[in-house]
Amino acid sequence: MKEKDPLNVIVTGVGGQGNVLVSQFIGRALVRAGYRVTIGETYGASQRGGAVMSHLRISRQAQYGPLIPSGQADVILGLEPVETLRVLAQYGNPAVTVITNSRPVYPLSVAIGAARYPTVEEIMTVLEELSASAWLINATDVAVEMGAPILANIVMVGALVGAGLLPLGPEEVELEFQESLSGDRLELNLKAFKRGLAEAKARLRRSGSVSG
Amino acid sequence: MSITAYEPGASQLLMGNEAIARGALEAGLGFASAYPGNPSSEIIGSLAEVAREMDIYVEWSVNEKVALEAAAAASFAGVRAIVAMKQNGLNVASDFLMNLNLTGTNAGLVLVICDDPAGLSSTNEQDSRPVAKWAELPLLEPATFQEAKDMTKWAFELSEKIKNVCLIRSVTRVSHARGDVRLAELTPPGRSARFAPTMLGQFTPLLVTLKHNMLHQKVKQTKEAFETSEFNWYTGPEKPELLIVTCGSGWYYSLEAVRTLALEESVGILKLGTTWPLPEKLVLEHLARTDKVLVVEEVDPFLEGNLKELVGDAFSSLGPLTFYGKRSGHLPTIGELDPDRVMSAISTVLGRERTDIDAEYAKKGQDLTQSMVQNRMVGFCAGCPHRATFWSIKNALKLDGRGGFVAGDIGCYTMALGPSGFFQIKTVQSMGSGAGLACGFGNLGRLGFGQPVLAVCGDSTFFHAAIPALINGVYNQANFTLLILDNSATAMTGFQPHAGTGASALGEPAPNVDIEGLCRSLGIRVEVTDPFDLQDTTEKLLDLMQRDGGVRVLISRRKCALVRAKTEKAAYKVRVDSEKCRGEACGCARLCTRVFQCPGLVWDSEHQKAKIDEVICSGCGVCADICPASAIIREA
Amino acid sequence: MSLDVKASRELQAEVLNPSLCSLCGACVGMCPYWVAHRGRIVALDECNLTQGRCYVFCPRTSLDLDLLSQTAFGTPYAADELGTMQRITMARATDGDIRSKGQYGGTVTALTSFALEQELIDAAVLTASDGNMLPGGTLASTAAQVRDRAKSNYVAAPTLAAFNRESSREDVQRIAVVATPCQALALAKMRASPLENRNNIDKLNLVVGLFCTWALRYDDFARFLAEKVPLGQIVKLDIPPPPANIFQVFTESDRIDIPLDQVRPFIRPGCDVCLDMTAEFTDISVGAAEGVAGWNTLIVRSDAGRELVEAAQAKGVIETKPLPDENLAHLKEASLNKKKRGLKKVIETSGSEENLLYLRLTGETVTELLS
Repeated sequence: MKEKDPLNVIVTGVGGQGNVLVSQFIGRALVRAGYRVTIGETYGASQRGGAVMSHLRISRQAQYGPLIPSGQADVILGLEPVETLRVLAQYGNPAVTVITNSRPVYPLSVAIGAARYPTVEEIMTVLEELSASAWLINATDVAVEMGAPILANIVMVGALVGAGLLPLGPEEVELEFQESLSGDRLELNLKAFKRGLAEAKARLRRSGSVSG
Repeated sequence: MSITAYEPGASQLLMGNEAIARGALEAGLGFASAYPGNPSSEIIGSLAEVAREMDIYVEWSVNEKVALEAAAAASFAGVRAIVAMKQNGLNVASDFLMNLNLTGTNAGLVLVICDDPAGLSSTNEQDSRPVAKWAELPLLEPATFQEAKDMTKWAFELSEKIKNVCLIRSVTRVSHARGDVRLAELTPPGRSARFAPTMLGQFTPLLVTLKHNMLHQKVKQTKEAFETSEFNWYTGPEKPELLIVTCGSGWYYSLEAVRTLALEESVGILKLGTTWPLPEKLVLEHLARTDKVLVVEEVDPFLEGNLKELVGDAFSSLGPLTFYGKRSGHLPTIGELDPDRVMSAISTVLGRERTDIDAEYAKKGQDLTQSMVQNRMVGFCAGCPHRATFWSIKNALKLDGRGGFVAGDIGCYTMALGPSGFFQIKTVQSMGSGAGLACGFGNLGRLGFGQPVLAVCGDSTFFHAAIPALINGVYNQANFTLLILDNSATAMTGFQPHAGTGASALGEPAPNVDIEGLCRSLGIRVEVTDPFDLQDTTEKLLDLMQRDGGVRVLISRRKCALVRAKTEKAAYKVRVDSEKCRGEACGCARLCTRVFQCPGLVWDSEHQKAKIDEVICSGCGVCADICPASAIIREA
Repeated sequence: MSLDVKASRELQAEVLNPSLCSLCGACVGMCPYWVAHRGRIVALDECNLTQGRCYVFCPRTSLDLDLLSQTAFGTPYAADELGTMQRITMARATDGDIRSKGQYGGTVTALTSFALEQELIDAAVLTASDGNMLPGGTLASTAAQVRDRAKSNYVAAPTLAAFNRESSREDVQRIAVVATPCQALALAKMRASPLENRNNIDKLNLVVGLFCTWALRYDDFARFLAEKVPLGQIVKLDIPPPPANIFQVFTESDRIDIPLDQVRPFIRPGCDVCLDMTAEFTDISVGAAEGVAGWNTLIVRSDAGRELVEAAQAKGVIETKPLPDENLAHLKEASLNKKKRGLKKVIETSGSEENLLYLRLTGETVTELLS
């Protein structure tokens, strides 16, 4: 993992997907590991089914502002494919790594038949065109299989860590889960996290490549 | 993770608002009050979470005026108190504030105002900082999360030193962003609250001119303290080509802009944490370094104006100075700041090009994604009672045929301005103003007005501000119908409890003020309806509208969908019989998906039929009543 | 030769906004967008279609009388005073009970209930009022139900909404409609419609027309009337033939006479542009018989109409006698006058003889009528 400082990570999705939770978990784990962390969020009215973004600034040296300048993202973690595209267009650059969930959350305009949602293939083509490396994770499928569709976001955290895109090892993130959760919730979240790790590792093995 | 979960000395990832709350606890806070308002709500929210543990008093007040009054009482009685509000809340509290500043305080009283640049969750865009100049109170603007905590702690000391309110102004990007903060020791509050005036008029603004003079002395005191404040600093070369003077969120943006443009050798940054009154000596010292000054701040050129005022007085002792910023057009006068805007301003002022932009990638990104990425419409959740209420309102107004309309108010239901509420709301201003406007519209009869007037407000808004307007309507015999949308929640801001939900800020049982009883006590016609019964609600509303004369109230009562999801099972299992579904054909033209637009109803363009999204559908069953083919089936 | 096909947006712009609507109800009851409420047609939402039944069926759009006449009678439209006619006579119900419940001779009630009893039809769409004098379409499936709805109604009623709503029922296969001229025109348009959705028009077996000079608006007329008598007490309304010039309101015990000139202001503006007094697109049409109390004027137009009348006569359900020449002359004059007035009003509204708004008439017909 290249030691870029600050490391700029954007977590994006749709209100209600647990975007904020993801950024907090990662943020706290990073603080525990001694990093200076800043997280900027879009809040409020965006919660009602609107686009949500968290900007994470990760540094050993200094604390950075809550907004990543245009074109300066290093990693984009997408909980929703079209949101990943949106963020990539504004904050991406030729060196960016993108890792996204494959399952769409249809905007209201598509649900009511007023607009068309692109296919996942179309989305992946553009993601690959606009990044150095693009990962597609079927996080919702995995979460549904586990009986907990709401945990797709945690699966994505696992994939992010498994792909080596954060300066954090799995144990450090698991420690954070243990500090924040307990009982059945802890068990389920850990399970989802580990499944995410496995998804990323499987892909690494298949392609024989290393991320970044 | 609560704000008391970690030990002093540890680093905790805290939201700006949480850092402010933590700072207050470290200062020995005893009393906290607020009305929810984005981006301020978490300050009192996080204090409420630890209130029992810290044995302090925390309340959600009915509105910001009462919140400030209650906190002032605590201060008078020797208890350190904090009040938090968004910019609009300041407006509501301002009458009391403009008396409190002259009155003075006893124990430290800190008023935190969280502005919402670009009005991302507000009906207006407002820079609240001029209130400091207007009320002549010290103003602090935290630029970092550490500062948010440390400044709040220090604000209590300053407040007690000058015996007056200390203002802290934050913005969304500080309040809602998170960063690691080093914690210090918590301080329990004193436990000897007592109100004991020793002088005539001590806790009043009287005699006004005397107290005003005293206020001016306090301002002088504050200026002195600000000259040596740890919250003001300079970074950069001795003689920079350009001096950036910034405050609040502008600090990080400016720092990052200078670094990205690699201009550390030629650009210096004066970061001010104490922005009114300005520490004049300090500021003039730094202004003397250069002849070009760029002022970076959110929202209005407040700091810029005050600097120019200062320079105007000290003109003869400075060299030529050119100011850049909002007034020169280098930074926008509307909306939020961000690092890109600051970078563009710097490079324009210095005549340098920006080297950080990959124009080719940016264009490619635009071209490739344009057709695939659209704005996500915001709207009512699946199962929201507001959608059902506004459907009935729409139908009733159309059937009535006299050009009736709705004066709106603030809450989730404000979205009825748009397609989610069938464009029914026609006016929106501040809390309670729907009923206020209705009082005006409802007394234009003799001037030719003949349209039925409806006003809407939520249950929390009702308690906050609509009651005086309702009473005015009764007393002045205005002709309108007020719909109170009672969903048992202050939903838009995060489901804080209020006077009608039966729970306190600490989650304990609290008296439940009966809206219906209160309205009936005014001697007017009050009806209650279940918005999910579309026909009944439409009929009741039509009937009320046609009874011209005097105020009528219709309470549309049904719990918020998100509250129901937590506490109840879905009422129905809903599905579409695709055989019966008429889809786009004459006889339907996709009424449910195209017009009703509940996110739980999806248009399956492959099969040209409507279908239920089982993940999103809340099971309220209302859509079954609007389908003309009875193709939507609900089963209990 | 075919009817214009547009949709609800155009219906609103071309008919409702310029107040041409006759409130026949043909646009109501087929979809959730158009509803009838207290004497008004209201669009609750915007329908985004470009082709709709509402526009095609409306008697105030694209009224190609030639096409309708060919579809109904196989002959071109002639601007005859009384329309296509096989026979004109006076008639009345033989049953005194029907005559007393009905208006004038009770012929409509007698023929409609006869058709039901003979199973020529299994349902009839009629007009009835509620306790507040608000009239609407209603489905009768027994003779008794027909007799209960026998009164004349001077307030416009969106009767065809009932046809639209009820005609899909499995137990309704052969329908009759008692229709005012505009309602009959709408049914004729339905028959001639090029749209795929036939709206069950093939179930329509019998159209009984009512003579009509104009109809009243509900809301303000009801308020006007309510000032004179509680609406719930009204059992019958009547306009005796000239020169009486009064509007009669009957309660159980009383009769109130209102000068007709006080009632005229409540006439629907949509009636002013109508050219049809004797309901020309029907199987039979029935009206008062001037100066002959207790009798109707009956016009037989189609073969189906003739067969019904002959059968009813044979069974002794109705009796007929010749229409006096004077009556025929007056009737022709009145009907022709309405055509002229209507056409003049159309031209006055459009501003030019070239623009006949919704009418599709040949130049000769126009010249003839204006002469």
